[in-house]
Amino acid sequence: MENKSPSAIARTVEDNSAFRTPHSELQSPLLLLEQVTKWYGPVIGVNQVTLELHGGIIGLVGANGAGKTTLLRLVTGQLRPDLGRVTVRGFDTWNWQTKRLIGYCPDADVFYEEMSGLEFVETMARLCGYSRREARQRTEAVIEQVGMVGRSSRKIRGYSKGMRQRIKLAQALLHDPELLVLDEPLSGIDPIGRQDSLQLFQELADRGKCLLISSHELEELEKLTDRVAILARGRIAAVGPVRQIRELLDHHPMTIRIDTAKSRQLAAELLAFQEVVGVDLSESSKEMPEVGTLIVRARNPRKFYEDFGRLVIQKELDVRRLEPLDDSTEAVLDYLLGGRNV
Amino acid sequence: MSVGLPPPLLPVARAWLELVWLSIRRQARMRQMLVVAVALMILAVVLVSVITFFGRWTLHNNRPRPRSPTYQQSVYHIKAARMMAAPNDSFGALLDGIGASVQTALDHGAFVVFSRWIVFAIFQSFLLPLWTLSFATDALGNERESRTLIWLTTRPLPRSAVYLAKYVAMLPWCLGLNLLGFGAICLAGGEPGRLAWDLFWPAVCWGTIAFAALFHLLAALFRRPAVVALIYSFFFETVVSDLPGDLKRLSISYYIRSLMFDSLSGLDMSPDQVTVYAPVSGWTAWGVLVGVTVVLIIIGMVVFSRMQYQEDV
Repeated sequence: MENKSPSAIARTVEDNSAFRTPHSELQSPLLLLEQVTKWYGPVIGVNQVTLELHGGIIGLVGANGAGKTTLLRLVTGQLRPDLGRVTVRGFDTWNWQTKRLIGYCPDADVFYEEMSGLEFVETMARLCGYSRREARQRTEAVIEQVGMVGRSSRKIRGYSKGMRQRIKLAQALLHDPELLVLDEPLSGIDPIGRQDSLQLFQELADRGKCLLISSHELEELEKLTDRVAILARGRIAAVGPVRQIRELLDHHPMTIRIDTAKSRQLAAELLAFQEVVGVDLSESSKEMPEVGTLIVRARNPRKFYEDFGRLVIQKELDVRRLEPLDDSTEAVLDYLLGGRNV
Repeated sequence: MSVGLPPPLLPVARAWLELVWLSIRRQARMRQMLVVAVALMILAVVLVSVITFFGRWTLHNNRPRPRSPTYQQSVYHIKAARMMAAPNDSFGALLDGIGASVQTALDHGAFVVFSRWIVFAIFQSFLLPLWTLSFATDALGNERESRTLIWLTTRPLPRSAVYLAKYVAMLPWCLGLNLLGFGAICLAGGEPGRLAWDLFWPAVCWGTIAFAALFHLLAALFRRPAVVALIYSFFFETVVSDLPGDLKRLSISYYIRSLMFDSLSGLDMSPDQVTVYAPVSGWTAWGVLVGVTVVLIIIGMVVFSRMQYQEDV
């Protein structure tokens, strides 16, 4: 079977219709990066990146130094591409007016420390051009949204990392932007806060916002979305639903765990499948001596699951457990980056 | 098809005014350079006070040679000689003339000495640019250094407006510090100081405005604007502006001093060697200072609009 390169994967999955809303033919893409390249002197930050987003939540993942922050700063108009174009709803992101369509929660943990959280967010609202009254109303609304009511009047310098993250998030929501760009928004937030943040992100997505989230917290990201853009060495290595990307990684057969009572018989049957490249038979556990565990490595997982399903029905097999072991975002990323951790 | 963006004029004006107010408040926080500026101000005031206390602004108590009488004693000797001469004697009339001339020169010498050494050599060449840069480089420089610039550049405000707002917000602080400092020095200088204040404060204002525009531009261009501004001030404004020839015409200090010379024209006084310094007329100096300010601000707005600040990338 032919192995596909990361760029080929990116091209293939970009064409996937899951990334387009029904109105995509009528409107400019919400976010469009066209062959965007950014250099820092002799070092390339992002390299010929093409990406088109129409809505929902998209995770941006990649190793340290892969170009995630550069990409986000291009999207938010902090940087200007050396080649290519970045637009939001057809407007160049370098244009100051486009910033009304974008909410940005930066990774940098910097504030006007002498202010309280409330003052800071209200100041940001005033800098968006809202009247004093409207700024106060919007500030109170977003403070409530991020769960900072009752704590927002304290000075920022006394805040925990999680509270600071929430204030950053609050200022990004002030002007009700169509596109929310969040750089490591879960960093430093406690588990309960994370849950609240994930819920908030989901609510925002449900309200039609597009969220581009860069995060190292892949498990948390998976709870939120299965759509990711994977950056490697400044290039988009793959973009699309994680499972779909995983299926295209032919040179890394999917590893699937199957617990069954007739493990030896099943192993023999599975080896007859064209897409199965190997089966390991593990010892039975002491708790369930009658159940054996198979670790199956198979190409083309979709076809494998179809064939496996038919086999189970035909042979009336007692399958106790069927679990893909390496279709998580982390595993996909690990394969794409050649084993380098994020 | 693209969605349209709503008309931004009113919100932008409101946001700009808010940014000016925010920046004024943030400038109020003491910075390292400001501490240096205030320390220098105190030092200068103490120095001037000591000189005033010992009455050293005039030449009354100076001696042309060691052990010879002071200038004031010489005047007394001339007057005494005049009293011994006959009232209608031509020699007596000559002594009258010499005595009056020397006394006038001694009386007005205080202002000349104060202007030359305190106003021109210390304040205008050194303290004025230094005090201005302590606020002017901080307006943008501090935002860059503390990486808080991101909060301004992610707002729906033109970058040029951000630059201008920062300049406008910093100006009252620069003017306040310079006028306060100059006022304190003049006050400590006694009578010649008060005359210097009356004559020179407008030149201090215009100089501050021009220097502030220059140092604000340096803050947009360099990561360490205070260092660059200090080097520029010492090597260009202090040294070059005093050199003979036309090179000094490139310095802002030259036009500030020309404005100061012009303010003296009605008093028939010359606190420096005007023929050597060759100042331009008051209107020319004022025009150049205003023009330079406007041009520097426009350049800064363009530069800031195009710059990509990558402090945290």
